[in-house]
Amino acid sequence: MEPDVSIESGCMLRIAVLPIGTVPQAQLRDYVSMLVRHRKVELSAISSFYTEHQKSPFANQPWDTGSLRFKFMVGGSPPSPWEDFQSNRKILAVIGICHCPSSPDLDVVADQFSIVCKNYTSAVVQRCFAFSPGDAQLEDGGKRGDNLILFPPADRQTLEFHLLTMMQDIAASLLMEFEKWVLRAESAGTIVKTPLDSQASLSSEEVIKAKKRRLGRAQKTIGDYCLLAGSPVDANAHYSTALELARLTGDYFWYAGALEGSVCALLIDRMGQKDPALEEEVKYRYTSVILHYKKSIQDNAQRVSPLSFELEATLKLARFLCRRELAKEVVDLLMTAADGAKYLIDASDRLILYVEVARLFGTLGYQRKAAFFSRQVAQLYLQQENNLAAISAMQVLAMTTKAYRVQSRATNSRLLSLSNETGSNLADGGKMQLQSVVSLFESQWSTLQMVVLREILQASIRAGDPLAAWSAAARLLRSYYPLITPAGQSGLASALATSAERLPSGTRCADPSLPFIRLHSFPVHPSQMDIVKRNLGREEWWVGSAPSGPFIYTPFSKGEPNDGSKQELIWVVGEPVEVLVELANPCGFDLMVDSIYLSVQSGNFDAFPISVSLPPNSAKIISLSGIPTSVGPITIPGCIVHCFGVITRHLFKDVDNLLLGAAQGLVLSDPFRCCGSAKLKNVSVPNISVVPSLPLLVSHVIGGDGASILYEGEIRDVWISLANAGSVPVEQAHVSLSGKNQDSVISISYETLKSALPLKPGAEVTLPVTLKAWQLGLVDPDNTAGKSISGGAGRVSKDGNSPMLVIHYSGPLEYPGKTSTNGSVLPPGRRLVVPLHICVQQGLSFIKARLLSMEIPAHISENFPQPVYLRNNSAEEGIISESKTERLVKIDPYRGSWGLHLLELELSNPTDVVFEISVSVQLESAKDEDISTFIDHDAADFGYPKTRIDRDYSARVLIPLEHFKLPILDGSVFAKDSHADGSFSNRSSSFTEKNTKAELNTSIKNLVSRIKVRWQSGRNSSGELSIKDAIQAALQTSVMDILLPDPLTFGFRLSENGSQQVAMLDSSKESDIPVSSSVSKGSVLAHEMIPMEVLVRNNTKEIIRMSLSITCRDVAGENCIEGSKSTVLWAGVLSEIQVEVSPLQEIKHSFSLYFLLPGEYTLAAAAVINDANDVLRARARTDSPDEPIFCCGPPFHIRVIGSA
Amino acid sequence: MGSTACFIIVSRNDIPIYEAEVGSAIKKEEATHQHQFILHAALDIVQDLAWTTSAMFLKAVDRFNDLVVSVYVTAGHTRLMLLHDSRNEDGIRSFFQEVHELYIKILLNPLYLPGSRITSSHFDTKVRALARKYL
Repeated sequence: MEPDVSIESGCMLRIAVLPIGTVPQAQLRDYVSMLVRHRKVELSAISSFYTEHQKSPFANQPWDTGSLRFKFMVGGSPPSPWEDFQSNRKILAVIGICHCPSSPDLDVVADQFSIVCKNYTSAVVQRCFAFSPGDAQLEDGGKRGDNLILFPPADRQTLEFHLLTMMQDIAASLLMEFEKWVLRAESAGTIVKTPLDSQASLSSEEVIKAKKRRLGRAQKTIGDYCLLAGSPVDANAHYSTALELARLTGDYFWYAGALEGSVCALLIDRMGQKDPALEEEVKYRYTSVILHYKKSIQDNAQRVSPLSFELEATLKLARFLCRRELAKEVVDLLMTAADGAKYLIDASDRLILYVEVARLFGTLGYQRKAAFFSRQVAQLYLQQENNLAAISAMQVLAMTTKAYRVQSRATNSRLLSLSNETGSNLADGGKMQLQSVVSLFESQWSTLQMVVLREILQASIRAGDPLAAWSAAARLLRSYYPLITPAGQSGLASALATSAERLPSGTRCADPSLPFIRLHSFPVHPSQMDIVKRNLGREEWWVGSAPSGPFIYTPFSKGEPNDGSKQELIWVVGEPVEVLVELANPCGFDLMVDSIYLSVQSGNFDAFPISVSLPPNSAKIISLSGIPTSVGPITIPGCIVHCFGVITRHLFKDVDNLLLGAAQGLVLSDPFRCCGSAKLKNVSVPNISVVPSLPLLVSHVIGGDGASILYEGEIRDVWISLANAGSVPVEQAHVSLSGKNQDSVISISYETLKSALPLKPGAEVTLPVTLKAWQLGLVDPDNTAGKSISGGAGRVSKDGNSPMLVIHYSGPLEYPGKTSTNGSVLPPGRRLVVPLHICVQQGLSFIKARLLSMEIPAHISENFPQPVYLRNNSAEEGIISESKTERLVKIDPYRGSWGLHLLELELSNPTDVVFEISVSVQLESAKDEDISTFIDHDAADFGYPKTRIDRDYSARVLIPLEHFKLPILDGSVFAKDSHADGSFSNRSSSFTEKNTKAELNTSIKNLVSRIKVRWQSGRNSSGELSIKDAIQAALQTSVMDILLPDPLTFGFRLSENGSQQVAMLDSSKESDIPVSSSVSKGSVLAHEMIPMEVLVRNNTKEIIRMSLSITCRDVAGENCIEGSKSTVLWAGVLSEIQVEVSPLQEIKHSFSLYFLLPGEYTLAAAAVINDANDVLRARARTDSPDEPIFCCGPPFHIRVIGSA
Repeated sequence: MGSTACFIIVSRNDIPIYEAEVGSAIKKEEATHQHQFILHAALDIVQDLAWTTSAMFLKAVDRFNDLVVSVYVTAGHTRLMLLHDSRNEDGIRSFFQEVHELYIKILLNPLYLPGSRITSSHFDTKVRALARKYL
């Protein structure tokens, strides 16, 4: 069988084209390509070369329309045993091709050519074309008379023209040879033999029949020659005769052959016509041809079967009919032909048959059918154990890949674009239509695909094409790993490795193998180098530029036009960036990725390769980094991977599509999920743009970036150094705070930063920040619980709780080197987040606060006890240098201390260091404005002695609260109270109560804030206990007693006589110090009239009318003035003294007492205030307006000694 | 039952959604592959043939060597394809009709995405039973 047969092939002259001498491949291809252009030579063109020696047997030759057709057999072909039967199988001419520069000696060439020609006995014309001869060769060749034709070097056009002329010459020579042959055959008759006849002719005894048969066969052969000579009418005439004779003699084989020839003649005659009638005719006659070949098979049940002619005829008809409309008939013909394959003995015949069937199915548009037969061809090739057959098999299989959809990307650019499209669809539309998803994974004939790929792998290994083998193995492994056993997977891996060994290093392959790579995420800039869009025209340019707040979705941002699903990502030239990708190795072997880096098409990115090793069935997230090199957009479609010795490009979109298919159950398996990796939602690839260099601040905390470990309440300074690591100066900077525990940052030195601007590249500025550790217990109560277990060594998790410094900074307003055009984009600014790592350790712990009140009755002396504030005042004026400590702690026994309040703080030290506590109370000058204490105001912190608390001990600290008493009880405290009562009715009482509460609270807060408990531990830990709440709670109930003075102050003294009063006052200072002469100072004698004075001071701003009473009690508490057993006599009025005290003034009331018995007595004054106003009422905490306000003074002790 | 038979359901997108070797012959992997190749190639013929007739059962549409491909095309252009070597047309017709009913039941399952692989083991059992009955 012969390939590429058609009905018209009956009229094609075969010319063997043979290289003579050594012809370089490229040259040979070039010369042959020039030659094969002349497949058809018009008869009209060759008439000049044609000379009619005798009368031409081709009487009806169409000189003006006819043509000779050539079929060039490059490399020649062996003579066919059937060439007598079909003359077109004969090699009728030989053309040698010689490349003169490589074959200098033309004689040798001529000899070689003549030797070669001897193989082609049927050839009637021989020519040797010698291209590009040298000058000497030209000279030499010009003299030669043989078949060597020299083509002098010339331009292409001339050369082609020369060649055309030579071909026309050859055509004319052939035509003349045909005439000769036909004339000879007609006259002398000719013996034509086929392999079928070898025995038959011998055994045949029927001479007449045999002679007729011979005649018919000769007629048929003459017809063939007529056909070859381009004269279909003559051919037809001869064929008719031949048909007649063959039918008569029952020579079916030749009958079919002649019929074939006649159809060919018909077609040549009606060249260019395609009417249905002709088609019907051809179909009819060819059916008959096939039928007669079949008959001849039955006749010749011999070793050599004419089956191949029947199949060829079938194929010829199929090729003739091969049109979409006639698909059914063609398919039937082809199926019949294919069925014949199993009766073909010769494997190469079968090969040709399948090739032809595949080609015809391909022409018909039946790609799958074509692929099927191509695969059959490949299998036949693979059965031949040689290299060339394997190469052929590989190539044939490569053609089938399209139908089986296992194409290599190298051959299929459509696949690439398709995957791009679908990828973008996914990104844009989100959810695709299910149907279109399904169609994405069209033709998942995985079994077939695997088989085909395996065969390609096998063929390419045998053919010695490592790249093809690599590609096939890669496709197989990547697409069908779930269907391959681990052993098979390892086999493929080793196939990949061995293929790669034979490839030069750095070979690229279009088909990716493992691993599977998907985009994991684009990490946002580390907070150190966050990029913020600048908002022009705002002082705070960062505001509103970035989404802020914890909410991903806010109803307010919804309407904004620019909230595309694509986020924007800004990279900076020269600053390394990273992208997270996830790799998966779903196979059962260790995968070593020699290098992987991002593939960037835009070319403005330097990617850094890294190498990864993936254990079997594992996935890994790695970060790929690189540096943008120039301004512009960047797209990252995938990664470049160097694995198994070959460089491949892996596109993210492919894997995305794969995962989508897996999600729909259309793809075998999700490589990531089978590696145990979590499902990842679709990562939207942001639009990445690169901007020119920006400043870059780098921060570090001086003294170590680690967390500063602070005890609760500790105050410490840290220095944060900011350096500009970028290449552009920082021109604007602003510091703000964010995060939790912001109030633990007490101060930031903004000025230091401001003064350092602009910060040149490389410059550094140090920013002091004062921190105060927060309270642990308040932040998270769990911690304290844990703490007690861990023994105070535990630490609070440092993230989350620490505050952060947020520094917004930016470079110059325009890009360097660019003139500012008005529409230009502002270069973005940046944000640096400096987390202040504070690790708070439990420090001194506060257990409880208690308010203690202390009451020591005063002793009556010659002078009045002074109110506290007055005493302070006088003390400050007088003896400033006096130790305040003493004053604070000391209690004058003669004065007593009535209503002295002490705040007791109980503290414990659970840590392993020693703490020292110092309490200070700040006096606020604003409160006592009418007393001019301003001199000493800055020194108004009272230092108490330090208390030392050892580890694991607790201690109590007492804080006297006497300094807080207001000098005057006026309406200011209850301002709102009184006012409201005055103007509104009872209705608003609740309101006023609230107001009162609020007022109270503020005053308590005021008071509390003035008490500061500082601690120190070691050399450099110091801080403050924040126990405000506890103090407040302790003080809450009795704050009025602490803050407010009684409306009336009572005092007693012994009055010797009125004239000494001034002196007495003077001596009052000395009286602070206890004097030994207790008799004269502190005691009085019995049985003597003791003159006394009671002093009543009005602390309010209004006149108070009252009835004053004085009582005296003995040790037992019995009233000793009144009653039956009174032991004291008196002179003057002691009860119901109606007095009136003007505001802030005091009155004195004199009386005398006569003690009958010595002993201890207690004097007390009390007053019932008449017409009390609201202030007094509020102070007395009474609501009812009728209730009398009773004011009781502190008791005064008096010791009466017996008269000596 | 014939000695070789391979049954396959191909969705309208030309994806095989169900495959079963239902022959009684000893199953060789190589043969299974070849069966699928033949069935795959027959799709080309079916795609043209399906529009030339109103019948769902297209009878034998293709053959390779002594294996014949019979096809049944549903209204939704899902193709039930049987590769067989016996010539029991009536049995094959009945087989196809019953499998078509089973397939419709699968389609009615709201959880089944039309065009995706049929993984129901019940379906598989039934199809094999039908194959034993008719082929």
